[in-house]
Amino acid sequence: MIRQLIILFYILIGALTPSISIALVIGSDQEEIYIDANFSGEELLVFGAFYSDPSQSRDSKSDILIEVVGPLEDVALRKKDSYFGFWLNSKSVTFRDVPGFYYLSSTSELTDEFLATNQIGLLEKKKSEMIDWSSLTTDWGSVVNDKEKEEFYNALIRTKQDDNLYKQVSDEIEIIDGNLFRSYIDIPNTVPVGEYNVNLHLIIDNEISQEYSYNFMVTRVGIEEAIYSFSKNYPFFYGLISLIIAIIIGWSGAEIFKRFRKV
Amino acid sequence: MSIYLPIAELSVNIFLLLSLGGVVGFLSGMFGLGGGFLMTPLLIFIGIPTNVAVATSANQIVASSISGTLGHWRQGLVDFKMGGVLLIGAFFGSILGVWIFSKLVAIGQIDTVISILYFALLTGIGLSMLIESSKVIRDRIRRKSVKQKIHYHNWAHRLPFKVRFYKSKLYISIIPPIIIGFVIGILSATMGIGGAFILIPAMIYFLGMPTSKVIGTSLFQIIFITALVTILHATTTFAVDAVLAFFLILSSVIGAQVGVLAANKLRGEEIRALLAIIVLGVATKIALDLLVKPNEIFNLSVIRLVF
Repeated sequence: MIRQLIILFYILIGALTPSISIALVIGSDQEEIYIDANFSGEELLVFGAFYSDPSQSRDSKSDILIEVVGPLEDVALRKKDSYFGFWLNSKSVTFRDVPGFYYLSSTSELTDEFLATNQIGLLEKKKSEMIDWSSLTTDWGSVVNDKEKEEFYNALIRTKQDDNLYKQVSDEIEIIDGNLFRSYIDIPNTVPVGEYNVNLHLIIDNEISQEYSYNFMVTRVGIEEAIYSFSKNYPFFYGLISLIIAIIIGWSGAEIFKRFRKV
Repeated sequence: MSIYLPIAELSVNIFLLLSLGGVVGFLSGMFGLGGGFLMTPLLIFIGIPTNVAVATSANQIVASSISGTLGHWRQGLVDFKMGGVLLIGAFFGSILGVWIFSKLVAIGQIDTVISILYFALLTGIGLSMLIESSKVIRDRIRRKSVKQKIHYHNWAHRLPFKVRFYKSKLYISIIPPIIIGFVIGILSATMGIGGAFILIPAMIYFLGMPTSKVIGTSLFQIIFITALVTILHATTTFAVDAVLAFFLILSSVIGAQVGVLAANKLRGEEIRALLAIIVLGVATKIALDLLVKPNEIFNLSVIRLVF
């Protein structure tokens, strides 16, 4: 509520500043997403306002684009092949520095051309000539020809999409009163921890007119964080404690039930 | 209600976990089995990564075999000396097993190898249970009593390094138990099982141990072997999920006790036949996953620095 008032305030300020013809202000409901024992995914709210003149409605040609880029990670992509009737992993490709989470949302369908010129998006590069191999640090292993590379690249995006980690949509941004917008972004429970960049673009006539970026963090907290870091930092003691818990429950379970049977 | 598992890095329904542990515990209490051979594949079916399923199963078996051993120990049915000799082999076997496991994770073949091993194990278990139980049912109908040979004299009695095992009334070489322990160690580390299903017949037929001492002794050595496997996995593959283990242990210990009570009230053979069918069903599912062309022939894994 307070943030929405702030936005209204900005809109008024903007209206009093004639030098800026169009402006973009945004807000978000949180700067941090906490992964705790109850974490089962979360909805991230991104909202804001864009306007040209408060008395006029939104320019029909202007669009909003929201991009969320998660922390980079290295992934191994393996392809299964049939050997004597069994489907076994065969060729493997390692992609380095790919986003662990990627979300692209816009108020209207974006053209491949627009995405290519502005270097936005990973999902639309379906044709091999559009894939810029040099932008990817990739260990191709035994994969040599371009057709197969393209197959692996598309599979990378497809498998990430299937896990709800990559997404491109053009119908999730809600426009209110022509000038305010709001979007709920689904953060699934499998998201990697780390820093996420949220980039907002105001697009007018197929060109980016305004940009705004901010970060939020996905962090493990509480007992989840304690257990995770303990298991990495003191693996021996972690194993030992896991054992002790098992011994205590196993032993006391037997004792408790023994008494039950005697009664 | 779901809970986030810190090592598996995903959230699962808490009641699904509790009922899984409860059912596996119940079956293990009822039939005197560890239950690891069902726990690991079922965890994989509900989406737990293979390495976490194997390592956490081992941790869970520690608890269930302690529960089981106590009863046998009180009745003096544990041959600690034999258990100790088996453990010498198991110690080296599980170190080799965890090493093989982490190599398989590194080259991305762990899922396949685990599937094939489990298919072989479950088919073997399922078929032998089915044959055995149907035989008992048939004999019961014909009112025939089954004669069993109590003591086997074979090659195990002719090898060097003979030691006297007073409790089992045996005077045999320590080489066969060490080899058996070694094999069980490898299987335990790679599959997340206690290995009772292989260990018990091996102790009866290869070592000639009296049947009454076999279950307690195998449970006793399974405690230590799975404890060792838990520590080895925690320190090398970092795949033991304490939260997952906690819920599985809690529910399986309760399930096991209920299973023991139920075993005294129900007639075993029919239920044993039913369990055999469940086991064969799980084996069939594993086989189909290997044989039917998957919808997605690509699979993605995030590379962690540890491997």
